[in-house]
Amino acid sequence: MLEIKNLHATVGDKEILKGIDLVIRPGEIHALMGTNGAGKSTLSNVLVGHPAYTVTEGSVTFHGKDLLALSPDERSHEGLFLSFQQPVEIPGVSMVNFMRAAVNAKRKYQGLDPMDAGAFLKLMREKRKIVELDNKLTSRSVNEGFSGGEKKRNEIFQMAMLEPSMCILDETDSGLDVDALRIVAEGFNKLRKPETSAIVITHYQRLLDYLKPDVVHVLIDGRIVKTGGPELAAEIEARGFDWIKKEELGQ
Amino acid sequence: MKAVRQYLDFFRSERQRLEAGSLPLLNAQREAAAAALERLQFPSQKVERYKYTDVEAAFAPNYGIELTPQKPADTTEKHSLEPEKHSPATVSPSHPEALSHYATLTDVNADAITALNTMLVQDVTVIYAAPGERKEHPVQITRTLQATAPLMQNRRLLIVAEAGAELTVILTDKAVAGQDFLTTQVTEVFVGEGAHVELYDIEDTQERCHRFHQVFAQVTAGGHLTHGVFTLAGGVSRNQTDIRLTGEGAAVQLLGCAVLGGTQHADNNTLIDHLAPGCTSRELYKYVVDQQATGAFAGRVLVREGAVQTDSVERNANLVCTSQARMWTQPMLEIYADDVKCSHGSTVGQLNDDALFYMRQRGISETEARTLLKQAFASEVLNEIPHEALRQRLHVLVEKRFRSCENCQLCK
Ligand SMILES: Nc1ncnc2c1ncn2[C@@H]1O[C@H](COP(=O)(O)OP(=O)(O)O)[C@@H](O)[C@H]1O
Ligand SMILES: [Mg+2]
Repeated sequence: MLEIKNLHATVGDKEILKGIDLVIRPGEIHALMGTNGAGKSTLSNVLVGHPAYTVTEGSVTFHGKDLLALSPDERSHEGLFLSFQQPVEIPGVSMVNFMRAAVNAKRKYQGLDPMDAGAFLKLMREKRKIVELDNKLTSRSVNEGFSGGEKKRNEIFQMAMLEPSMCILDETDSGLDVDALRIVAEGFNKLRKPETSAIVITHYQRLLDYLKPDVVHVLIDGRIVKTGGPELAAEIEARGFDWIKKEELGQ
Repeated sequence: MKAVRQYLDFFRSERQRLEAGSLPLLNAQREAAAAALERLQFPSQKVERYKYTDVEAAFAPNYGIELTPQKPADTTEKHSLEPEKHSPATVSPSHPEALSHYATLTDVNADAITALNTMLVQDVTVIYAAPGERKEHPVQITRTLQATAPLMQNRRLLIVAEAGAELTVILTDKAVAGQDFLTTQVTEVFVGEGAHVELYDIEDTQERCHRFHQVFAQVTAGGHLTHGVFTLAGGVSRNQTDIRLTGEGAAVQLLGCAVLGGTQHADNNTLIDHLAPGCTSRELYKYVVDQQATGAFAGRVLVREGAVQTDSVERNANLVCTSQARMWTQPMLEIYADDVKCSHGSTVGQLNDDALFYMRQRGISETEARTLLKQAFASEVLNEIPHEALRQRLHVLVEKRFRSCENCQLCK
């Protein structure tokens, strides 16, 4: 469903992604680990079409379409969702209006009529429960005054509302305490359908214990240097990245 | 030739016709006003309070001056709020006690626009609330400029709320498209002891309108005035608001929201003069400046000697949406009294790119995302409007304005 070939990307005149190859099939969960500054968030941002990054080489196809030719909102409509590492606060835009605009934009893309107000609020209520997001939070402005953990929970709530086929979780576990992590991870598992795929960016084993990745990749300096099974994540948690750098890069 | 000449010449040649249909009270002020205008001339942009708006250019064209008494206001406009609930404006001279206030807050020698208005005005609309009278419904006046040739109108309002009275006035200006209009308007507002007045002025005209509105208000002990100016559409708009807090515990709330696009220009110039102890002032003006529009805000808060325990907050916040849009902001605070609590400040910012991208990732189009952000910005000041029905109405009108702006071809 997602096929990344030789992807190079720059920010300003600095090359961050230096040739990424990655294939994710329906239903697969891929963990992406790597040192700070390796380019994990950059890869996420490039996939969702962030204007700060320029793709200089390579291709990405998503559900058979040329992903890079689509606008960020079209990529969203096609089923791509990014749980941001740092979700932004949008004072003055209520969660309800924000979600309504998002849901109805997707419906329009699919040729459906806008949802009526009653059905929409009911949907909000149902999805809110899955991630145990407080009613008080959904009546506020987007992320405004949310704690770090509440922001992450709100990301998964939005994912629940939009039902994407491909989710990128960018350090969704960072800043979460043990209980919050469980709620978010279990929420994600409840929401995912057999064909839902994900790229899970994390530094820790504990999120992966819940999400059970099929494949683990290690990204260092803009390249995927090692790919393995779930046991690779455990090994990284125990030994760090230096041994991989030595083995794979001769450093 | 200086633009002022044609108005003075007009006055000299048409004076008889002008005075024939007007009140002696208004006629009595004309000569002094003409002399003042002759002496002052129109202010150049070197004059501090006029530095953001070119008066000469606005008054230079030859507008026809309407010399038939203006019709009583049309209060059944489709945009009016709760159309069946208005009480009609009371037009002169049914309240002689109110008329005695005429031209007592204005000074023709201090301002050329005031002088011009006083020289040419034909009628005064009086809105009066007797002591203790509580007007349940707002007085709404909707005026639509309509003409087949360029037209100038000079309007005068006198709003008097006696002690303990409550009064809300909503003025809405509209204009038909495709014509040049010039309006001057001078409004005097007297807020009696413990009286409560809300005065809203909504401009929803078009790009060929030039308007020079002035409000001179006096709030006495324990009185409260809310004044809101909302610029939804227009050409060149200059709104001057001068508030005198003359009695202990008087309070004023100034609200402004300007939604500017195309080549619109809006200039709000305010003065809040704290003359008595224990008075409160709150001022919030927000501008959304898009395309090639220009906005200006100059707000002076003056705390006089003896105005102890003044409590004043002044803020101007602006969103500048394009690289060609311009905003000037000048909050001013002068304090000559001890024991006061005052703050003032302004910000100029742009649409938040991170917020825009966040929304687009969730599938919201760029146009819609921009609209939501602009609306969110304007909402803060609209939420402050005490009159609930008007607050809701303005949220709708402002949203409509943002949407039409984003969709029109000019704005792309
Ligand atoms: N918008 C940006 N502007 C400038 N530099 C950036 C930007 N985004 C990422 N970078 C740089 O790219 C490199 C990779 O960053 P990032 O993708 O955030 O790493 P990771 O998520 O793996 O920690 C870093 O050196 C970072 O400073
Ligand atoms: Mg990162």
